[in-house]
Amino acid sequence: MSKDSDWEAYKVPPTRTPVSERATSVPNPATLIETVFNYVVDAPVTFVREWIERQQAKNKFYYYHQKFRRVPDLSECLEGDYLCFFEAEAQWRRDRLVDMEIVEIIRERLGACKQREGPNEFQNCAKEVELLMQVTKAYQDRYGDIGVHGNARTCLMKQKHRMMEERKAQANASE
Amino acid sequence: MAAMSLLLRAAAAWGARRTAGDAVVRARLPALAGAARLPGTVAPVRHSSSHGKRMFIIKATRFYDTRFLNLLRFYIFLTGIPVALFITYVNIFIGEAELAEIPEGYIPDYWEYYKHPISRWIARYLCDPPEKDYEKQMALLDVEAKKAELRMMELEARRLMRHRGDGPWYHYETPDKNLVDNSMKSTPDN
Repeated sequence: MSKDSDWEAYKVPPTRTPVSERATSVPNPATLIETVFNYVVDAPVTFVREWIERQQAKNKFYYYHQKFRRVPDLSECLEGDYLCFFEAEAQWRRDRLVDMEIVEIIRERLGACKQREGPNEFQNCAKEVELLMQVTKAYQDRYGDIGVHGNARTCLMKQKHRMMEERKAQANASE
Repeated sequence: MAAMSLLLRAAAAWGARRTAGDAVVRARLPALAGAARLPGTVAPVRHSSSHGKRMFIIKATRFYDTRFLNLLRFYIFLTGIPVALFITYVNIFIGEAELAEIPEGYIPDYWEYYKHPISRWIARYLCDPPEKDYEKQMALLDVEAKKAELRMMELEARRLMRHRGDGPWYHYETPDKNLVDNSMKSTPDN
C-alpha cells in the first residue's frame, strides 16, 4: 500500500546484453512489431495522456501526509482519566498501523531481492531475510496474540508480562 | 397444454387437408416434446410464399420483461450518465492532487490530506473537520465519565449515611412521643 521511499533496495544492476551482429538479410520481425506498436498504440496514447496532463497542469494542488502530535502514552495516564485513555488508544492504533506498514515494506523488499537475484537468492538476500525475521519477531512480541479485541491496555499488559518474564529469566540466569 | 396441443394439431391437420390439393409440402408439426428447434408452439400458416412454410410461432409473452429492462436502463442512465460525465470531467480537467512534503511553518487544512478532488470537496463542504469530531468524542466521554463518577459518589454517600446514620438521608418519620398512650404501663401487673 505505501510506497517504499528507499529505492536503493530495488535497484537492478544494468544488463550486459551484447550487441548482436546481423547474420541474415531477413529483417527482424521484432523491430517491425515494435514500430507498428509505437505508431498504432503508443503515440496516440501518449498524445492523449500529455494533453490531459497539460490541462491538469493549469491548476496544480497538493495533498500531504498528516503528521499527528505525540500525546501521553497509556502508561502515563492517571487512573480514571478517560480522556487520556481515549487519546492514548487512538495513538496506539495509529502506531500499530504504521508498524504493519513497516513489516509489509520489509517483506516487499525481500520479494524484490528474490526476484532480482534469481537463483542466487539464498546467498545474496541473507541480510533482507535476517531483517525480516527480526522485524516480524518484534511485531509478534508486541502485537501478536492480543486478539481481535486487543487495545492499548491489553498490549500494555502484554508488555508488562514480557518484562516480568525477562526479569525472572535474568534472576534465574544470575543464580 | 395438452389440450392446446391437440387443438393445434387438429388445426394443422385441417389446414393441411385444405391445402392438400394445391400445396405439395405437408405440414409437419415439430413434436412438442422435442421442440428444440423452434421456440414455443408452432402452427403452420396458409398462403406460404416462396421461402418455405411460414410459421406462426406462439411463445410466452416477453412484453413485461422487455418493459422492465427498458425502464431499468432508463432510470439507471437518467442519473448515471450525468454522474459518469461529471466524474470524467473532473478526472481529466482537474485531476488528482500530487503528494508533497508539508512546507515549513505551514499547517495544511484538513481537506488537503485527500488525493481526489471530489473527496477533497466532500471533506471541505460536507464533513466536519476531524479535530471537531475528535473534540466531540472527547466531550461525550467527559460527560459520561463525570456522570459515572457522580453516581459512584452518590452510592458511597448513601452507604455511609445508612451505616453511620448521621447524614440528612435515611430519616424515618416516627409518631410524636406525646401521642403515645402509656396508661398500660402505669401499673406493673396487667
